[in-house]
Amino acid sequence: MTTKTYVPNPVSPRVLGHHWSAKADRLQSATGVLMGVFLLFHLHFESSILLGKDAFYHVVHFLEGSIFSDDGKGFPIITQIISVFMLAVFVLHALTALRRFPTQLGQWRALQSSLNTIRHSDTRIWYFQLLTGAALFFLVPVHLFEMIQAPNIGPNMSAERVYHDNTWVLYALLLPAVVVHAVFGLYRVAVKWGLTFQRHKLRRFAHGLMIYLMVLGIASLMCYLLIGSELTLPVTPYSPS
Amino acid sequence: MSQGRTLTFNIFRFDPQQPGDKPKMVSYQLDETPGMTVFIALNRLREEQDSSLQFDFVCRAGICGSCAMVINGMPTLACRTLTSKFSDATITLMPLPGFELIGDLSVNTGKFMREIAERLKLWLHPRGDGQDIHVLEAPMDPEEAARLYELERCVECGVCVSACATKQMRETFVGAVGLMKIARFELDSRDARSVDDFYHVIGNQDGVFGCMTLLGCQDNCPKDLPHMQQIAYLRRKMSATLVSC
Repeated sequence: MTTKTYVPNPVSPRVLGHHWSAKADRLQSATGVLMGVFLLFHLHFESSILLGKDAFYHVVHFLEGSIFSDDGKGFPIITQIISVFMLAVFVLHALTALRRFPTQLGQWRALQSSLNTIRHSDTRIWYFQLLTGAALFFLVPVHLFEMIQAPNIGPNMSAERVYHDNTWVLYALLLPAVVVHAVFGLYRVAVKWGLTFQRHKLRRFAHGLMIYLMVLGIASLMCYLLIGSELTLPVTPYSPS
Repeated sequence: MSQGRTLTFNIFRFDPQQPGDKPKMVSYQLDETPGMTVFIALNRLREEQDSSLQFDFVCRAGICGSCAMVINGMPTLACRTLTSKFSDATITLMPLPGFELIGDLSVNTGKFMREIAERLKLWLHPRGDGQDIHVLEAPMDPEEAARLYELERCVECGVCVSACATKQMRETFVGAVGLMKIARFELDSRDARSVDDFYHVIGNQDGVFGCMTLLGCQDNCPKDLPHMQQIAYLRRKMSATLVSC
């Protein structure tokens, strides 16, 4: 009988690279968390319209730095600066996340085959993230460019944009995609880096958060549509009575 | 009470060695007996109904990892799966995806495991130049031994490979079994390799940074190995090492 003995090679004392893999992984998680947290605030701020036009008016002007302006109306350029910043974060996230995207037909077939053969909920959740990520790749820049170009935010101007300019179509597509992608993205970052091992509790929380954000987003979108339908053109910016 | 049921087994059949054979699903009926496992059912089917049915087994006790297959969409060990857990009396059996098919439910996990062991150098690299077999081995801290034993429980069944969609999409990805075994040697104080050396082989897109945290490995491992914790540990440690260099 002959046997083959494996003699280990001398271990290299050098690290031969790969540091970009680690950096890209960190960057993807960091930009994802930043955008996920931003979304949580964003959805709550814009849904202040549910409390009335005055509430939304004051939220917008406060966030645009009204306390620092002489006329008390703030600086719309702040919205533009934040939009440009978020666009840069989005581009970084998209670039690093594209490493994960199946780029060959064979990979898509393997993925479909795996989904059909193996029943596994987290893999399905990731698949939805993949699909929503692809949708967001096209939808988010439209929203951000719109904010960079004409940041007319206010009860009447936003409602006009939603109803009369038909951007409700964009938001109707953007809302479910961004909520699913962001909520499960935050969940995945937490388990990926070992921030929690209470995975099942966290996933239940993520499901609850997703439903809550969807209800919040749909309710505020309906509210903007309702306000927009009552406006007559040309629309004038809202001023508190 | 499962006794008295007639079970229907839908089994994937294909023999690559048989010219002209095509993959197909074949149905078999079998009376269920108390305490019946899928492994017992397969043996009865082969003895009583179809002697050409191919599947692997050795230990019948969840130790050897040979009888892993996809049972009603769950990759797991046939010898540890009771038929009574399936309320609708229909059981679909598929071979583990991602491995070379030997025939029917039998796959060549051994070839895969050997390749991954050679690629990642999954054996102990002892400290020191010469090993004197007449000298007593240095005692190991019991806590360290327990930690190593926890990771050493892997039976190389291949379930984590089949359950991982990342591995199915990317042939070169090392998978949870590779990462688990690297973590085992990384913890071993007798191993001469440094953190950088370990990370050289898995600190890339085919290693720990290629893992997309789909957690099929964690949820399906029949030995309940802590894949999620180990991969997160490797990711954090490697990330800290490589980013700073």
